Amino acid sequence: MTPRLVEVRKNVLKRNDELARALRQRFRHAGVFVVSLVSSPGSGKTALLETTLRTLGETYRVAALVGDLATENDAARLLRSGAPVRQIVTGTVCHLEAEMVERALDEWDLAALDILFIENVGNLVCPASYDLGEDLRMVLLSVTEGEDKPLKYPSIFNTADIAVITKMDLADAVEFDLETAAENILTVRPGMRIVTVSSKSGQGMEYLFKLLAQGRSSKRFAPPPDGQILLG
Amino acid sequence: MHELSIAVNIVDIACEEVERQGDSLVDAVYLNLGVLSGVVKEALLFSWELACEGTRIAGARLAIQDVPGREMQVTAIEVFADGDPETVHDTASG
Repeated sequence: MTPRLVEVRKNVLKRNDELARALRQRFRHAGVFVVSLVSSPGSGKTALLETTLRTLGETYRVAALVGDLATENDAARLLRSGAPVRQIVTGTVCHLEAEMVERALDEWDLAALDILFIENVGNLVCPASYDLGEDLRMVLLSVTEGEDKPLKYPSIFNTADIAVITKMDLADAVEFDLETAAENILTVRPGMRIVTVSSKSGQGMEYLFKLLAQGRSSKRFAPPPDGQILLG
Repeated sequence: MHELSIAVNIVDIACEEVERQGDSLVDAVYLNLGVLSGVVKEALLFSWELACEGTRIAGARLAIQDVPGREMQVTAIEVFADGDPETVHDTASG
């Protein structure tokens, strides 16, 4: 027997990518703008989301999916905003995959939503590889984590569209160097938009809300990818 | 640590291909792994044997080629078979 090489050329995550593409199409047809949040555990995703759901909920029909290894604590916390929230408990899986999002959306009327948030599992490594069909991926970096996080975890910053520096109210206390942090973010993702916020004091939140609202309207009025004209 | 699930995906792709080829024995699976893929090579190799266990490619080795960017692609499989040599590339020339 002679060994022979057979060409394959298949992406390892092709199944996830296909599902994500289908989700993206579904979101577009439903006219819902989908924003995902990734960061390390404890960087303030849920706090940011709580404020965001409450504020944007006054103008838009908002909802959230939230992923964690265990507990429904985050969903319970986010439900206080009054928005519909679903928890995805991943068990031992350290990230969300398109299939989990699809399953969690079961029987949800997406057309009745304007903006859907997906909070990924707190992890700066694994979520980077998985497309969830979102329109916008926000990576959060809290001031307590240190300015060099983007250099240590380039992939997650590289796959995100906006970097949000959180807990700015603590910046002075931890001697956070914003300039260095911004430089590091731009090293791994040149040209990336950086927003500084504090969910607690409300600093910078107005600007973030404006960005999200803008993203939502640019999607709503953008031509659909398949060239069809959609009404409504 | 999502390398085990990545390894399982690679095994699935390889098994699909083996089935299509009608070959029974796989010697190696070739993977291009981007430095920005977020996957740790050592952890992937560590998970490999476990992911292969009980599948038709059990015992195959995973050959990883480092590439730039986020690419993660199974490029080829090396099979042992007595099939028509013209339908596939020879290892030496491939």
